[in-house]
Amino acid sequence: MGGRSAPELAGELLHAWRRGDRSRLARFVIVVLAALALATFATSIVTGAADASLGNVLRWLAGEAAADQGLSARDRIIILDIRLPRAVLGMLVGAALAVSGAVMQGLFRNPLADPGLVGVSSGASLGAVLAIVLGSAALAPLLALFGVYALPLGAFCGGLATTVLLYRIATRGGQTSVATMLLAGIALGALANAVTGVLVFIADDKQLRDLTFWGLGSLAGASWTKIAAAGPIILLALATTPFLARGLNAITLGEAAAFHMGIPVQRLKNIAILSVAAATGASVAVCGGIGFVGIVVPHLLRLVIGPDHRYLLPAAALLGGTMLIFADMLARTIVSPAELPIGIITAFVGAPFFLWILLRGRSHMGL
Amino acid sequence: MIRVYDISVRLSGRQVLNGVSFDVAPGSMTAIVGPNGSGKTTTLKAISGELALSAGRVAINGHDLSRLRPWELALKRGVLPQATVVSFPFTVREIVGLGLSAAAATTRPERLADEALEAVDLAGFSGRFYRELSGGEQQRVQLARVLCQISAPVGDGEPRYLLLDEPVSSLDIRHQLTIMRLARQFCEGGGGVIAVMHDLNLTAMFADRMVMMKAGRIRASGAPRDVLTDDAMEAVFGCRMRVSVAPEHDTPFVLPQAASI
Repeated sequence: MGGRSAPELAGELLHAWRRGDRSRLARFVIVVLAALALATFATSIVTGAADASLGNVLRWLAGEAAADQGLSARDRIIILDIRLPRAVLGMLVGAALAVSGAVMQGLFRNPLADPGLVGVSSGASLGAVLAIVLGSAALAPLLALFGVYALPLGAFCGGLATTVLLYRIATRGGQTSVATMLLAGIALGALANAVTGVLVFIADDKQLRDLTFWGLGSLAGASWTKIAAAGPIILLALATTPFLARGLNAITLGEAAAFHMGIPVQRLKNIAILSVAAATGASVAVCGGIGFVGIVVPHLLRLVIGPDHRYLLPAAALLGGTMLIFADMLARTIVSPAELPIGIITAFVGAPFFLWILLRGRSHMGL
Repeated sequence: MIRVYDISVRLSGRQVLNGVSFDVAPGSMTAIVGPNGSGKTTTLKAISGELALSAGRVAINGHDLSRLRPWELALKRGVLPQATVVSFPFTVREIVGLGLSAAAATTRPERLADEALEAVDLAGFSGRFYRELSGGEQQRVQLARVLCQISAPVGDGEPRYLLLDEPVSSLDIRHQLTIMRLARQFCEGGGGVIAVMHDLNLTAMFADRMVMMKAGRIRASGAPRDVLTDDAMEAVFGCRMRVSVAPEHDTPFVLPQAASI
């Protein structure tokens, strides 16, 4: 895009857009979103109850200030061990949730699919709770083997099982029924929550303490250890998406049409389900269930750049991360110095949004 | 050449196709006709590779269908389904573009997409939203997508094929002719066309061969004037009617007004 003036670029985007080609616009939006993500990330690091101003942080990073000037040792710890991991985790989890939502919507050919709504997050929670409760008893030696990965791994297995079941139930002859999927998702979610309830009931005091944060959905416990546990899994899942994009585009015309266009449909579905389960599982393992990011972000983006997954998936990763960090900033400043669980904020924005999509798109979705 | 060797298909325990065989030569158009539920679409699906055969085999340019990978098949044949529901707000240009990305790399994707839309008489529609078009327009957009995938009747030194499932069923008469002529041109360029058809008169006008099916079997096949007979109309469709011949083109035609059921 370099080398041209802004009006030229705008003219070109508009011309292509009028002809129904939104790819240039999408590329431009991705660049803007990347800048926005960077800015939000930086803002979140210098925002909070403690005073660590942007100027001080920059001076410190540039190595200009002496150890005791500008930024106190306490502020440095706050930044390095609290805000920075929180922002990094927010970016990772936000990207994971938004991309999982977009991939699942593509796979189910329906804009209302979201890991949080159709029980995948509940399944992942169940997997993680199983890892915690059985981890100190029956499965202890096995789980010790996996170390910090035990929890994300448990969540991944739970999420995977739910997604596979859901797909089996909701899809018949290559067609996915929206109503069946949503209702089956509710049933599977309820079942997973019930089993989780039983596990909580039999958990001992120490396990209960570990379990309490599941319900909340929060970035408050962010740490470098959690990033080390969930980060690689999330990045791996995100790394598969460029290979899914073309197939997900083709499958919006139906599984048969995708096959006609040369897509190995079964393999596409397997990889898509695995990466949704991995990204959701890893997110749930470190932050609990944070709803609606996976619905709101892809839908907003489709309104602007269209549904082409080649652009939608990277854009969703950027906007998802940005929105989650932003929601987290709200969560920790609105009632400062106390904190709201971030899930409350995403639900306040996301639930009305979900209803709006439902009402607007009813006729298209056969509901 | 597409060779269909004695294929049978079972769907949920029911025998839907029973020993169907025919050949489709490059440069010719074969139409599959028959009453509802006679297995026309199933035959097309078996040839496209999306259905598993319970017996027999299909070969395309000498390659066994079951040995070809999806992307190899996509370079040899394009498939137009009966109707396509699209779940996201794609523009017409983006739908046609899906065909482009399935095709072998082309140097001028922009031109190809425009030409395909022009060919189906939808020039100027590229910026419209697919879901806001009428059924007939949507069907023509899908055909443009297939034409982008199979951009030329011959490629890599081999003929290519179009498999069309009721390509003109929701079109007005002018566009029925446009699309049938388009298919005809594809044949004249050296490619092959297999079309499931309901309109016997259009079929007789444009097809080189007619495969007439009933209850999962082929009842008659050959040139339209040999297949479309008074006896066949009664035996296959259950319509007692006379098949006439249009003198100018020497093609058979039927008048539904003259039928008794």
